[in-house]
Amino acid sequence: MVEYDRNQQSEISGRQPLRICVAGVGGAGSNVLDRITMDRTVEATLVSFQTDVRVLHHSTSPRKIQLGTELMRGVGAGGDPDLGREAAMFSKEEIRNAVDGHDMVFISVGLGGGTGSGAAPVVAEIAKSTGALVLVFAAVPFGFEGRRRQQQATDALERLQKCADALVLFDNSRMGELVLPKDGIQKAFAQADQLIAQSVRAVTGMIGAPGIVKLGLDDLVSALRTNEGRCLFGFGEAKGQNRGVDALKKALKSPLINQGQLLQNAKNLLVHIVGGESLTLMEVEQVMKQLGRHVPDETQILFGIGVEPKLGESVTVTLVSSLSATEMASRPPVEAEPEPRREAPVRALVSRAPVTQVAPPPPAPEPEEEPQQLFAEPEPAPEPEPRRPSVAMQAAIAAVAPPPPELFAPAPEVAAPAPAPVFEPEPEPVVQVAPPRPRAQIDAAPAPQPAAPPPPTPEPEVFDEPEMFVEEEPEVAAQEPAWEEPEAPDQVVYLASEMETIDAAVEEEYQPIAPAPAPLARDKGFKLSSVLDTLNSEPLTVAKPTPAPVVDEIFIEATESRTPVLKPIAETAAVPLPRPIARQTPVPVENEVMSHSDFASESEDSDLFGSSPPPVMPSAGNVSKKPAPTPAAEQQTFRLGGNEDRGRFKDTEPALVQGEDLDTPTWMRRQRRVAR
Amino acid sequence: MAKSTIYAGLEIGTHKICVVVGEAKRDGAIKILGVGQAPSRGVRKGEIVDFDKVQTCLNDALVRAEDRSDVMIRNVFLGVSGAHIESLNNRGCFRLPEDQNEVTEDDVEEAKEIARNVAIPQQNVFLHSITRQYIVDGMEAVRQPIGREARTLEADYHIIHGVRGRIQNAIRCVREIPLEVEDVVFNPIAAAQVVLNREAKHQGSLMLDFGAGTVDYVLYEDGMVTASGCVPFGGDHISQDIAQAFQIPHGRAERVKVDEGSTLYHHISPSEMIRMEDENGLFMGEIERGFMNEVMYLRTHEILTLVRDRVEEHLGKLAAGVYLTGGVSLMKGIDAVAKEVFGLKVTRAGSAPVSGVTATFENPQYSAPIGLIRYAQILDSEKPFLSPLARLGRRMADLLT
Repeated sequence: MVEYDRNQQSEISGRQPLRICVAGVGGAGSNVLDRITMDRTVEATLVSFQTDVRVLHHSTSPRKIQLGTELMRGVGAGGDPDLGREAAMFSKEEIRNAVDGHDMVFISVGLGGGTGSGAAPVVAEIAKSTGALVLVFAAVPFGFEGRRRQQQATDALERLQKCADALVLFDNSRMGELVLPKDGIQKAFAQADQLIAQSVRAVTGMIGAPGIVKLGLDDLVSALRTNEGRCLFGFGEAKGQNRGVDALKKALKSPLINQGQLLQNAKNLLVHIVGGESLTLMEVEQVMKQLGRHVPDETQILFGIGVEPKLGESVTVTLVSSLSATEMASRPPVEAEPEPRREAPVRALVSRAPVTQVAPPPPAPEPEEEPQQLFAEPEPAPEPEPRRPSVAMQAAIAAVAPPPPELFAPAPEVAAPAPAPVFEPEPEPVVQVAPPRPRAQIDAAPAPQPAAPPPPTPEPEVFDEPEMFVEEEPEVAAQEPAWEEPEAPDQVVYLASEMETIDAAVEEEYQPIAPAPAPLARDKGFKLSSVLDTLNSEPLTVAKPTPAPVVDEIFIEATESRTPVLKPIAETAAVPLPRPIARQTPVPVENEVMSHSDFASESEDSDLFGSSPPPVMPSAGNVSKKPAPTPAAEQQTFRLGGNEDRGRFKDTEPALVQGEDLDTPTWMRRQRRVAR
Repeated sequence: MAKSTIYAGLEIGTHKICVVVGEAKRDGAIKILGVGQAPSRGVRKGEIVDFDKVQTCLNDALVRAEDRSDVMIRNVFLGVSGAHIESLNNRGCFRLPEDQNEVTEDDVEEAKEIARNVAIPQQNVFLHSITRQYIVDGMEAVRQPIGREARTLEADYHIIHGVRGRIQNAIRCVREIPLEVEDVVFNPIAAAQVVLNREAKHQGSLMLDFGAGTVDYVLYEDGMVTASGCVPFGGDHISQDIAQAFQIPHGRAERVKVDEGSTLYHHISPSEMIRMEDENGLFMGEIERGFMNEVMYLRTHEILTLVRDRVEEHLGKLAAGVYLTGGVSLMKGIDAVAKEVFGLKVTRAGSAPVSGVTATFENPQYSAPIGLIRYAQILDSEKPFLSPLARLGRRMADLLT
């Protein structure tokens, strides 16, 4: 006790400089930490947190903490964030001991995995509770690592935002920009680690090192804060004749700053120039002059110079700024157009500021791309994206800045890990939508019968009561156990949206012949909604009996109506039955088309259809029988998924505008629209 | 320039491949020496889908052009198009150093550099960066800022970019002939050089190159390129609609469209038929004229609407109206449709100011390839006086405004 006190005292009085702690959590975090350790340029306590003993042993950091020793027994979390979180909870005290007594805690972490995603928020929370300034440098998984990992990363980010003062994201997908294509993979990863290490080093150096023009913690905070959302970070180091300007160029080139483009909107910018003892005023002047070209007049420049003998001949330039998400989004169209994830590699979400404005822009860029995807392959994924952010936003406890948009882009599966795979096997149209539903429901609410009742339950919620999520969401964010509950609605979102998607797609292509199934299915959903509302608000056990019978009926109906519809089509393919449809279709159309099909039904009949429906190009004999095309084309549409309608353009990429493939003849699309 | 120069322009279109050989005289006039043309195969929507077929056709066209012009063609200016090509306007702002009041060349270069440094999708390359104007201390439409007193200088650029791979493929296809590609030019930019005169550019005009595969457009405002782009629909789609409506082969549909087609259908009685004959002149069948025209109208209207949607915000400022060029602009009734869609004066135009066998070359089908010659000429005209790379921007500015 006495010892402890004395230690504290001496630290406060004796060491003026900031006490900094750099913590690496999980595999990726430790790698960065190793890099920092080996660079030996940061005066800080370095702590590595790991669940896996073997990895921990490899780490070069001076202090290593094994998380959840008893729980995990030295084995990794295996990609399960829950496990990682548990482990961290078990080792709470150790973590606290490690991070306690520092002014600043940097946490470097690779999100998406088990330990990183699970434990980092816990570490951040503990660090925050010790009163330190918490900065998180997080690497977001590659796009190819899959949705699930992206989702885990997103979830972890949400948690991190609550306890971190600033969050700097590095998107692994941008790693390619750091190295030449032919460079080895090790180099790529090393470079990425180095980038993060540099960032840590630059910030610590800026604040910790003595300077001629000193920048303090207050400057850093003011550069990062100002109720703005995202952090821009550039770091450059250069030697040689033009070292100052070169270093600045490098800093501007940093993928974290998007080639200097984003600086145009920055309100305040922190510039820190550090050089060896040979640093000249001239060089500083040059750098600032050069920088002035990239920064608007109004920007408040927080400027600092430091001399660090360790740097020798080289000069480093550090740029730190922050930008609200709206500003980032309002950049010229070019920025929005490239894949959203590419547009800004780094965001720092400053949680202290009451940021609520951040969310609105994210959904905007997304939908632009969506329609294409939707039709290319009707996956459940894309639709929920826009919805999700908004939900998150409403739920957001005011202080929390909502997550950056592109995190959602790759990881739209909001549903918790377990049920996720259920959805993958069903990219097929309507008919297949039914089966998976029951399963989804089972996961969420164990009570009801497995077969029929569950499916509709979630669906109507989506249509009628989106607000319900909003109410539930805060729970989700707040406490872990709540997770189980809300999963249901989330999944439901998929189903429903998927239904819509498919409906749309189906209507588009299949409608002319079999208009029945799609609207039918949707109607059911609406009817059920009232029942389901009650179901939702009441305890599950009570509700169970009610929906069961209703749903059963409906389902039978639905399936019944579906099968017969399909059968006749198969038959009619060869018989003049499609004719009536053709005739109905044109009625509202302009006179020309109408007269046309009338003529058709009178003049020539089944002879055209005597054989199975003709391919697009019939023999010359058919030329005179103009009316034939309409029904024939429609049948082909039905069979071949519309590709046949595209005629000679069927091999080219579809030109989709508002969900319509414009390669299909205009008149054909008109007719369908009218028919519908 | 001391002597006249011979240029070749190559356009690989969806309907035809066209090589134009032209001579740029020292007084700036252009004389067309020869045109080689071959029907195009393996091109869809302005983009090459089948290398081999395109190369065969291209060889054909090349041989004809060499024959007629009596020139060995080694280098060509290649016109490209395709839905992937996009454009945007960007400004680069440069503040002059404190101790300096007068704009110097270096400052201009700096501003240009900043303006040209826009983020485009990673897989894209810059096709053109065209200076629109300079803005000196907020004063717009300055053409020549050097020597002016100013605090800030802005360069306003129109930037056209496209997917690297697709442009490269077009270049590669031509190189394998073998031909050297001197420059790659976005078709409408070239076509506008001969279709629009200075006045039209200054009054504000929209030029549509309505080709078989694409509609390329470029919009001028106050003499500056304001918008350009490409809609991947064209005459092919019209023919295809006819083919599918009457279940006839595409080739025949194309022929009927050209011979008989029109987009006016209101006054045609439903009983009016078009007789179709096979190669031997034997009767094959008839199709209803009114219906065919309506099919054509619907598609034409839709395509033009797509263009309008892209340029909607600028439409109010086009005093010179819409200029239609390209093969489809020969279609009957298209001017009425364009007028209906854009609500502006519509002019059908081919390339105007060239000498040679003019009767042939005023045909709007040749606007783009002839424009390439003009483009090449303007591009080259200032070469001797300027260092090649550094002044490209200004050259383009003069050329295009």
